[in-house]
Amino acid sequence: MRRDRLYFLTYWTATFAAVLAFSSVARSQADQQHAVSKTSVAPAPKHNLSGVWQLRGTGGAESFAPEEGMPPMTPWAQAKFDAAKPGYGSRAAPGGNDPILQCDPMGFPRVMLMPTPYEFVHTPTRVLQFFEREHEWRSIWTDGRSLPKEPDPTWYGYAIGHWEGDITFVVESTGFTDRTWITPTGYPHSEAMRVTERYQRVDRDTILYNISVTDPMSYAKPITGPQRIMKLKPGAEIDELPCVWSDENEFTKRIREPAASKSAK
Amino acid sequence: MMRKLATFTVWIAILLLAGGTARAHHGNSAYDEEHTITIAGTVTEFIWSNPHCQFFVDVKDDKGHVVNWAIESQSPGIMRRNNWTRTSLKPGDQISVTLNAAKNGAPVGFSGNQSGKVVFADGRVLKMDVR
Repeated sequence: MRRDRLYFLTYWTATFAAVLAFSSVARSQADQQHAVSKTSVAPAPKHNLSGVWQLRGTGGAESFAPEEGMPPMTPWAQAKFDAAKPGYGSRAAPGGNDPILQCDPMGFPRVMLMPTPYEFVHTPTRVLQFFEREHEWRSIWTDGRSLPKEPDPTWYGYAIGHWEGDITFVVESTGFTDRTWITPTGYPHSEAMRVTERYQRVDRDTILYNISVTDPMSYAKPITGPQRIMKLKPGAEIDELPCVWSDENEFTKRIREPAASKSAK
Repeated sequence: MMRKLATFTVWIAILLLAGGTARAHHGNSAYDEEHTITIAGTVTEFIWSNPHCQFFVDVKDDKGHVVNWAIESQSPGIMRRNNWTRTSLKPGDQISVTLNAAKNGAPVGFSGNQSGKVVFADGRVLKMDVR
């Protein structure tokens, strides 16, 4: 009799806990939809992404695709992945060899998924994208040119963009140096990487952002990230925040090394 | 039957709850992100710079020894959007800080997340969670 009562209580407690956990998932999905349809009623202007935008994410650095969504790697890429010692993700450990710890440019697409804003500025032949992170920028050419066949590899790549309809800006880019990680978790890429992004401005304040990466030298299949939301920050100004080697060194000496040292205090 | 139902439901609950805690790491593998602690003391230094603003606080332990804590927050841009300025903390300010402490026991902590905050003697609160 008592045992039956125990199972009865266990069943109902667990059901209650499961409902709570499930409802928090449902609530966050509802928040996403709410962010798109109810927060702002002003429609998107046509062919215009001007302004300062902020990723609505976890609040920290994110990977454009989750670790469990990464396809199998080529032997070349696997070797680079194994050599990477990141500060994020399932292999995170203090210290490490993340190139940004030396103020190497973060590169693309890693810089897109930071908790810091960026700004779009339109010119007649280019859309300029300024990143607060690192005080970096890239040009997205909109004059109808094609991607170069043999681009010089650069940190932020060579990008071209065009509009599909009134509100969707599609960006194709290539020409990336292979010295960057495409995620904070240490996933590599080759100079053959090609990135496709879609910025769909569904209302004045909201962009639905989709990104996919194709790199046959590194990955067996293209990698597509989950759709993300970017929100307009009216009146915001992005800061000047370059990576400063002397500041990184001070931070490493006063914070990173003491927190990572093996000997307890 | 009841026992099987109870066991099954407990496992479903565990799986659902565990999924909720698998949040993205913030490059803070050195810190105990499961627990927060609150320390209190006197500001000795406030550094407003990349990669993360830092502030240093003299904290007296129960034996009267002073330990200088090093606390990491967020980049100046993020701090500014959370109503901080480069003079929000001055040497001599009496504050309490809620943070995640370093796992190795060193007096180092991280406060730049959802749970972190600084509370001044007059009750003012500064957080670092807005993005």
